[in-house]
Amino acid sequence: MKFSKYILLIAALMIVHTSCDDGFDELNVNPTAGSEIDPNFQFTWVQLRTSGGRYENWRANLIYSSMMMQHLASTCSYWTGDKYTYNGSYSSSLFDRAYNEQVKDMQDLINTLETKEGSDPTMLGMAKIWRVVIFHRLTDLYGDVPYFQAGKGFLEAIDFPEYDAQQDIYMDMLNELEEGIGLLSSGTGFGGADLIYAGDVDKWTRFGYSLMLRLAMRLSQADESTAKSWVTKAVNGGVMESNDDIAFIQHESGPEGINRNGIGEVLDQANGFGDDCPRLSKTMVDWMLATGDPRLDIFGKTPKDGGGHNGLPNGLDETTIQDNPTGTSADSSFSYINPVIVTVASPMIFQTYAETQFLLAEAAKRGWASGSAEEYYNNGVRAGIQQWVIYDASLEVDDADVDTYLVANPFDDSFEQIGWQYWAATFLNEYETFANWRRTGYPTLTPVNYPGNVTGGQIPSRMVYAESEIGLNPNLDAALSRQGMTTDFSTQMTVPVWWDK
Amino acid sequence: MKLHLLCLLFLLSGSITVVAQQRVAGNVTGTDGEPLIGVAVLETGTTNGTITDIDGNYVLNVSDEAASLTFSYTGYARQVVEIGAQTTLNVVLEAGVALDEVVVTALGIERDKKALAYSVTEVEGENFSQARAMNVIQSLSGKVAGVNVASTATGPGGATRVVIRGNSSISGNNQPLYVVDGVPIDNTNLGSAGMWGGQDWGDGISSLNPDDIESYTVLKGNSAAALYGFRASNGVILITTKSGKKRQGIGVEFSSQVRAESIVNHVDFQEEYGHGRDGAAPTTQAEALANGLYAWGARLDGSSVMQFDGQSRPYSAVGDNLDRFYETGVTYSNTLALTGGNENYNFRFSGSALNNDDVTPNAGLDRYTFSMKTNARFSDKLSGSAGVTYINEQVDNRPRLSDSPGNANYTAWSLPPSINIEDLRGPTDKLGANEDGTELQFNDNAFVTNPWWGAYQFDADSRKNRMIGNIQLRYDIFGGFYTRGRISVDRYNFRRTNITPYGTAYSAFGQMDERSTNFQELNTEVILGYDKDVTESIGLNIFVGGNQLRNKRETLGIEGDNFSVPFLHTIKNLANQRSIYEFKEFQTNSIFSSAEIAINRAIYLTATGRQDWFSTLTNIDNTSDNDKFYYSVGASAVLSDIINLPSQVDYAKVRVSYGEVGGVGAAEEPYLLGLNYVIHGQGHGGNPLGGITTDPNSIPNATLTPLTSQEFEVGLDFVLFQNRLGADFAFYNRQTIDDILNAKVSSTSGYAEKVVNIGKMENIGVELLLYGTPVKTADFRWDVSVNYAQNNNEVVSLLTAEDDGESIRVEESRTQNAYIEHIEGLPYSQIMGYLYDRDDAGNIVLDDDGLPVRGELVALGTGVHPTSIGISNTLSYKNLSLSFLIDSKSGGYIYGATNAYAYFRGLHQNTLVGRESGIGNVSAENVEDYYQRVAFNITEEFVQKADFIKLRELVLSYNIPKSKLGNLPFESVSLGLAGRNLALLSSSVDNIDPESTYTAGNGQGLEMFGVPQTRSFQFNLGIKF
Repeated sequence: MKFSKYILLIAALMIVHTSCDDGFDELNVNPTAGSEIDPNFQFTWVQLRTSGGRYENWRANLIYSSMMMQHLASTCSYWTGDKYTYNGSYSSSLFDRAYNEQVKDMQDLINTLETKEGSDPTMLGMAKIWRVVIFHRLTDLYGDVPYFQAGKGFLEAIDFPEYDAQQDIYMDMLNELEEGIGLLSSGTGFGGADLIYAGDVDKWTRFGYSLMLRLAMRLSQADESTAKSWVTKAVNGGVMESNDDIAFIQHESGPEGINRNGIGEVLDQANGFGDDCPRLSKTMVDWMLATGDPRLDIFGKTPKDGGGHNGLPNGLDETTIQDNPTGTSADSSFSYINPVIVTVASPMIFQTYAETQFLLAEAAKRGWASGSAEEYYNNGVRAGIQQWVIYDASLEVDDADVDTYLVANPFDDSFEQIGWQYWAATFLNEYETFANWRRTGYPTLTPVNYPGNVTGGQIPSRMVYAESEIGLNPNLDAALSRQGMTTDFSTQMTVPVWWDK
Repeated sequence: MKLHLLCLLFLLSGSITVVAQQRVAGNVTGTDGEPLIGVAVLETGTTNGTITDIDGNYVLNVSDEAASLTFSYTGYARQVVEIGAQTTLNVVLEAGVALDEVVVTALGIERDKKALAYSVTEVEGENFSQARAMNVIQSLSGKVAGVNVASTATGPGGATRVVIRGNSSISGNNQPLYVVDGVPIDNTNLGSAGMWGGQDWGDGISSLNPDDIESYTVLKGNSAAALYGFRASNGVILITTKSGKKRQGIGVEFSSQVRAESIVNHVDFQEEYGHGRDGAAPTTQAEALANGLYAWGARLDGSSVMQFDGQSRPYSAVGDNLDRFYETGVTYSNTLALTGGNENYNFRFSGSALNNDDVTPNAGLDRYTFSMKTNARFSDKLSGSAGVTYINEQVDNRPRLSDSPGNANYTAWSLPPSINIEDLRGPTDKLGANEDGTELQFNDNAFVTNPWWGAYQFDADSRKNRMIGNIQLRYDIFGGFYTRGRISVDRYNFRRTNITPYGTAYSAFGQMDERSTNFQELNTEVILGYDKDVTESIGLNIFVGGNQLRNKRETLGIEGDNFSVPFLHTIKNLANQRSIYEFKEFQTNSIFSSAEIAINRAIYLTATGRQDWFSTLTNIDNTSDNDKFYYSVGASAVLSDIINLPSQVDYAKVRVSYGEVGGVGAAEEPYLLGLNYVIHGQGHGGNPLGGITTDPNSIPNATLTPLTSQEFEVGLDFVLFQNRLGADFAFYNRQTIDDILNAKVSSTSGYAEKVVNIGKMENIGVELLLYGTPVKTADFRWDVSVNYAQNNNEVVSLLTAEDDGESIRVEESRTQNAYIEHIEGLPYSQIMGYLYDRDDAGNIVLDDDGLPVRGELVALGTGVHPTSIGISNTLSYKNLSLSFLIDSKSGGYIYGATNAYAYFRGLHQNTLVGRESGIGNVSAENVEDYYQRVAFNITEEFVQKADFIKLRELVLSYNIPKSKLGNLPFESVSLGLAGRNLALLSSSVDNIDPESTYTAGNGQGLEMFGVPQTRSFQFNLGIKF
């Protein structure tokens, strides 16, 4: 019968319809993602992200910090850090990226390790120490920042974290370090997934105490007694012992951005990253020439135009450089950064043995640590000159050359001299250079007074939060008023952070 | 329901019979002799009347005094017939107004227009082909009340933003569903520019061929679109393609257009001061490079001054660089169609080619479309149709927009008046390059790309192969019962190549990305229906059905950087390669039903219901709430058939409806219910990398539901004076509740956004269409049509239920001091920006250096126009016709980042003030400090009213009369001249077109360095054999 034939046709359509219906309930399971992650994978990820991308290394680390600190100088119109003008997105670049890329996964990993049964306490210890690495850099650069509630948008449904007072953050970070070190037990924690020490618990312990020393010394002006007691704890625990203990991540040239050194992604021209703007600052070149510092040829290359090292004065642009008192004005007449130390595969350093020794020298001078300030200083200088070999074997400096340098520049028992060496030892880790300079005031840097600067001709005392927080995070205002700041961010770079007294 | 009762009362009053003393009977037919059913027959001047039966017969008892009877029937001219002594009155009604038309409604169901309880607008396809836009849907601009088309400045093949009755979702999709011959087609924007630049990779609707389209039907409101359930909240545009017709032999139709296009240049920058800084011209090449983007130099005096390339050239104004850079775009489109058919089947086949060279140098588009459609009647009961369209589209060099890297527009807009863009071409045949083949830089910022390099060496190509098809069978079972089955598919492959060439200043060794996306949506639908007049006065149209939608999108690609062999731009030559893989799939199952009761063909009651089940809201345990019910109810009454209206009224209808429907948002976004962890990159030192997904970088929400839109609508249609004047009025009140917000959260939460189900928004508006024929003689006719729409939008509540001034930020300008926010109590898409700090007297506060201080961050106006008016006039004399369309929008604002940059760089006319004398404490040499402070700190300076009036279209066409064709083998020949965007009649925006925007997304109101708007002239030729 004809009728039934057509019914069959319609039925055929229905069959097509229902046969597609398989797996409706399972369809919403993402086939390209998981609902949990191996803590090892996540820890490696967080470490790499802490080393940072090109974005914030370019802006906050290089353009602002390295230029304010007169390690580098530039006449390019957008390398404005040594002009003390305000660029909101440069200033907030670390703040913009760190919470998203570092803090979120860090908090998530620590939450997993704390709540999941059978988790390795050594992993938790290492994670807690690493969290301090992330946060102390943030608070040093930006003052009061979200800390206790940060990165918990999913974990605790906190969309608008409160800004915590830097003092509270420091107290907690010191406690966290102590607790984290205490959790390190036998075993290797993350093992090979730990890019810093491959799970070496002893090195992690020394790194933890070295960070404790750094944080404690940061409080030398703001809270002397706290500083002293934590210095004691750190020294008793045992800090870094040699350049073998340097905390760094070895980068790779690819295949992806995440594998590369963020500074290399700015400056490594051999690998296609073409920012040719910065030159060595005249401040650094002159200091190194005066002291016969073997690091000058590690940090720099002589000018393309020939001749010996020639530092570019800070605070000049392409117009004002024509009145350069040294007479030269072409970009190519100044010392370049040695490309060997700024490749995409270069290591990224978080803390060195040399810095630790300089902190100990200072602590010894203050009577907070036993031992000879001079011995710590000499150890620091030697390590600080020889540490660059981790960038490239060709940068090795033998002991005799260091001896010569030390004979020519003996310890004069001054904070200033320690400050200069700390400054030189933290080249490229400019966040740390900037923080230690603000605390100690050393080395003495002569500020520039570029037209249109927003600091009244002073080197800035901080970077400022993301402008996107204005009107978005209701907790911002409390933080601003607590620190004596306003929402006119372009004029706030002169406000010191809490420990900067 | 009150209105329903009212309608019934009208009906009853119409059938109350007064004491009858005379009997009149007769028969009513059309001019074709066919009986007319349901003609209203009234004793003139009374409410005494009846309607004709199924054979067109009527019987009416009339009073003694009755002088005449009035016969009225929708779509036919009313007739008043004297009774005299006659007892039999047979009447022939002449077809008058085409109001008895049948329109296509939701799911392709055809219904009488007078039965509709909601507003539906049909536009003939011809209106889209005469004065063409590259994107067919842009031709809708100004033609339909309540339909807002934003012309984006994004180059050939770019996306278009169409919004009906205002934005109804706060941050979700606001564009309508497009359905072509029953196939819902994908209109996803495949990539758009944002704050940091990028290209517009186009959308789905742009690739249709205007020559294949018979008509567009716009279902504006919820009731009209209710049967589309979760996809209905933004309205639906139904597109019906042309079919073959019964004819002798095979018909051949050929149409051809040539279109020339040029930029509309509104730029009026200063031409008195040249490149330089601090009031001085550069003296060295390095200085000229550093100042390459700044016109803060000395007064132009014709002296020889150093430029970026080390050459000295006269320091004088070089003229308009935009006009030098952009070219005349040319587009050829040709369509050949074959049609044929008999009583039982027909077909139409068409092939079409469109070849375009864009105004942006080296950019263009080629599109080839083949379409086949057949309709067949296999037997008395079985009929069917099948259609397939294949589209091949290739776009070369989609221009980069917004931020500077690779953006030729950016630089073309930004050069100081003393720099000639021609000098940036470079010394060799390779445009924008140095002798060694690398980019010739003209300034020291590597990210501001040489425009020639950007246009000729960068590459952003795409190829799309798309197939849209459907098969439909209908079986009429018996006695009004029928069943219909339909399978429809939209599938495409989209392949894109994006190259940052070797030697680019900011990427010395280059970058490349290739990706291929496969998309498919399959819909299977079955309907069982009943359509019959059950009695003389009651008709029923009922159906139930089910639909399954399965949608899958998969992208596979490779990206990487550092070409090993210089200038060899292929994937295999990349030193670093990374894979890309994206996958999304979802399914929605639906059942639906619709019922319409027609009473006396004058009163119609309708109701629809639809239940949707979403895979996207289904968790693995199937415990989540994953379904939604949508419905609509409505009534319409053809007053002119019910009550006795003055004889001038040919037709009048009132309608009222309410609909509750959903919006796509969460319904089409899988995997959002929980936190997803992914593997990042390819590991490091052999260690895998993994963590929380950053795409999307939002806080997940396990309890999401699709938004709900509730709309009440009333309307009135009438036609007066023998069809000389008509009007269609609509009022609507639409509330969107449970909107899904990607609310910005503090980045310190670890996320950029949070997905929440809380927003509420309101759109209240009126639409008015007036059309008429003021002059009509045998040879001459003047038709005019005015459409007006006013939509008042308010964001009612955001993150909490209260109206407490909350806001969410959806977009940010590259200048980082203008944002688009939705704010409670204000209309959608507010441009947020900073005011000047002013003292109590209103004076601008200056700091110690004499520079303006930034004041409060406030809402400076909405980026969406609430009011739109379109006026079209057609004058025809015999076979000649001239028509023009004036399109106007008003009430919205625009933030011109181009003008902010023009301040920063000293290009804007306003920056002339103080160059010689200084401004207050600011000396003349430092006057740039003043304007640069304003540029990126004081937003209010660059927010302007974006009201405009444009002469949008002008069309002159001539149909050569058959008599003149003589022995030529043509059925008809038509010629036409058309222009588009011919004149900007009114605007108050400096330097840029008031419609400039770089995204078809929700962040409306931001502008920055887009492709300039274009003006086009077109020649049309149409031939039928």
